Amino acid sequence: MLKFIIPTIMLMPLTWLSKNNLIWINSTTHSLLISLSSLLLLNQLNDNSLNYSLVFFSDPLSAPLLILTMWLLPLMLMASQSHLAKEPPVRKKLYVTMLIMLQTLLIMTFTATELILFYIMFEATLIPTLIIITRWGNQTERLNAGLYFLFYTLIGSLPLLVALLYLQNTTGSLNFLLLQHWAQPLSTSWSNIFMWLACMMAFLVKMPLYGLHLWLPKAHVEAPIAGSMVLAAVLLKLGGYGMLRITPMLGPLTEHMAYPFLMLSLWGMVMTSSICLRQTDLKSLIAYSSVSHMALVIAAILIQTPWSYMGATALMIAHGLTSSMLFCLANSNYERIHSRTMILARGLQIFLPLMATWWLLASLTNLALPPTINLIGELLVVMSIFSWSNPTILLMGTNIVITALYSLYMLIMTQRGKHTHHINNITPSFTREHALMALHIIPLLLLSLNPKIILGPLY
Amino acid sequence: MNPYIFTILLTTLILSTMMVITSSHWLMAWIGLEMNMMAFIPIMMKTPNPRATEASTKYLLTQATASALLMMAIIINLMYSGQWTITKLFNPTASTLMTVALAIKLGLAPFHFWVPEVTQGIPLTTGLILLTWQKLAPLSILYQISPSINLYLILTMSLLSILIGGWGGLNQTQLRKIMAYSSIAHMGWMTTILPYNPTLTLLNLLIYITMTFTMFMLFIQNSTTTTLSLSQAWNKTPIITTLTMLTLLSMGGLPPLSGFMPKWMIIQELTKNDMLIMPTLMAIVALLNLYFYMRLTYATALTLFPSTNNMKMKWQFNPTKRATLLPTAIVISTMLLPLTPMLSILL
Repeated sequence: MLKFIIPTIMLMPLTWLSKNNLIWINSTTHSLLISLSSLLLLNQLNDNSLNYSLVFFSDPLSAPLLILTMWLLPLMLMASQSHLAKEPPVRKKLYVTMLIMLQTLLIMTFTATELILFYIMFEATLIPTLIIITRWGNQTERLNAGLYFLFYTLIGSLPLLVALLYLQNTTGSLNFLLLQHWAQPLSTSWSNIFMWLACMMAFLVKMPLYGLHLWLPKAHVEAPIAGSMVLAAVLLKLGGYGMLRITPMLGPLTEHMAYPFLMLSLWGMVMTSSICLRQTDLKSLIAYSSVSHMALVIAAILIQTPWSYMGATALMIAHGLTSSMLFCLANSNYERIHSRTMILARGLQIFLPLMATWWLLASLTNLALPPTINLIGELLVVMSIFSWSNPTILLMGTNIVITALYSLYMLIMTQRGKHTHHINNITPSFTREHALMALHIIPLLLLSLNPKIILGPLY
Repeated sequence: MNPYIFTILLTTLILSTMMVITSSHWLMAWIGLEMNMMAFIPIMMKTPNPRATEASTKYLLTQATASALLMMAIIINLMYSGQWTITKLFNPTASTLMTVALAIKLGLAPFHFWVPEVTQGIPLTTGLILLTWQKLAPLSILYQISPSINLYLILTMSLLSILIGGWGGLNQTQLRKIMAYSSIAHMGWMTTILPYNPTLTLLNLLIYITMTFTMFMLFIQNSTTTTLSLSQAWNKTPIITTLTMLTLLSMGGLPPLSGFMPKWMIIQELTKNDMLIMPTLMAIVALLNLYFYMRLTYATALTLFPSTNNMKMKWQFNPTKRATLLPTAIVISTMLLPLTPMLSILL
């Protein structure tokens, strides 16, 4: 695992020692090389995980997430070139350093064996993200957004620390590979209920669960493009990954405790999808769509069946690529008209036809068109929740329809129809932007040829 | 101040703390604490303004009361045990009285009222000595009597300190008062673990002293005492903004900075002793502390406060103030977390 961590850390001296006109080229190229080397992780054993050392391991659940994380860094760097063009070189290098630091911490989070190391890295990812949102965001609301983001996550995760230390005292070790075999079944007692809550709340806030999702629209909207990309694509999946790791330890209690959160997820996904139809702010629409997709993942993880786990993992990867791509598209709009209001830039298909292709592809994958992996994820989740309880098909079906509605609404609103007059002098698309979109959609489409690798350890 | 007098005062200050830490006779420890108070008061009066006079007077009154209570506790212990050796106390009354006396000296709630006002009235360097060096002597006595302290008393006082340290600092803009409330909250964390594992009290004290020292040195470097003047630091010495931000986040207890280490260790010890609600409550209330550190971080490093154009175009002279030990202190207060297994040397 050091073969990923050390090159990523060394990207920092690379950035600081580069000549001013080579900052972007150096960091993008080298991070792309690191992401290509991450494909080594796909060589997973069938009956065990890859145990690199006492400290790091990777199994079929964390490998796709790691590859996604490492793939995203060059994409983030490509996306940030435009809005940082006018900054002095020191500040550009600082921004790139923040992204690289975030990347290192994320790699260590996804590969941690010991749950306390996972916790420390999980919390540590908050600091670079906070700095990116607050220092480089554009509106005054970003201050509030940063505080909401930090405090919601911290209030959820401090009980997790206490629960992990309690678990260490009772079971003797927090090494995940041992713990999944040692875990005692939990009975339904008040103290076990509180321990279940303490373990899960951190990840439910991070996902986010419907009632605790207030930080997400704020943070996603106010963050600069790289911040939005990494938040939507990877940081939300930290919550899902944590839940998938910790639920084996929480025994039969989950069947009783999961009900309120299942209700919140099922209702919340319909609510947040519906509110997407009433959004005027483009980034806010994509943020609420993230909440909706993640609510499906939460529901899938809480019912704990093999199909639902596979669906949750597939949906996490698919949503990561899709929503990151949507944020890049929204940012390409924002850079031209400097406003996030959707109706200000309409009918873009006439002006930017190739970008319209990417908009179409992104919207189609967002609404889970076959045969993309979005569909595989959603279908597996819908089927497993149907088998858990038949009437939920009403909510699930409604959600699928509303997801299609708002994805097409977003597509039609920005691309089709009569164009507004003030956009007839926008700059044409840059090759960099086309490359960015292609690099998002090509893995997504290729994965539909071999979805086995993203279906997680239960395949 | 006359340099000879100042030297004598500083020497007495250091000598008195050494006396308290190393003595085995209760009378010598008490004399050490008195000498400490006597030496510190003229240091507080270095700048003879009415604020400093008020601060010194409040300090004298509170510390003298505490010393009197301490002497009472020592005499009761003498009556019940017949000897003056500093070991655990032999009578619950003596123990309670002594804990209360030392709490007044440290500034633990509900005896914390003097800390913000005294810290505010004195210059930054003296405030640094007040919040770091002056904590050593009382904590060393608490460390030695820790087996006999009434558990409920100390846990109540410490939980109350953490609450009051968090809530009190929320409405402050003066940096010295913010550091005072931060000191109250950290003292609360330190005394929480005292009945269970006093080594962690010392660890927390060490990390707290390093972080407070770093903060004060950064403030002294910029000569700032208010949030407003701290927000202009980006123009004088831009690197200070990053360092202030990192140190403040470390004081708030965010991983992976070293301020997380004492909190993690303390929560671990408390869970080992079957206390689960209390560390959860303590950790969540510590977020109040983080809120006003975040406000300072925003002011310093992450946003640009409104200011006149004059303030944005300062000359960047070579610094004349010596940043004593600042690089060392910054490295220790932010990067010590991977060395956590090393803390066994404290045993």
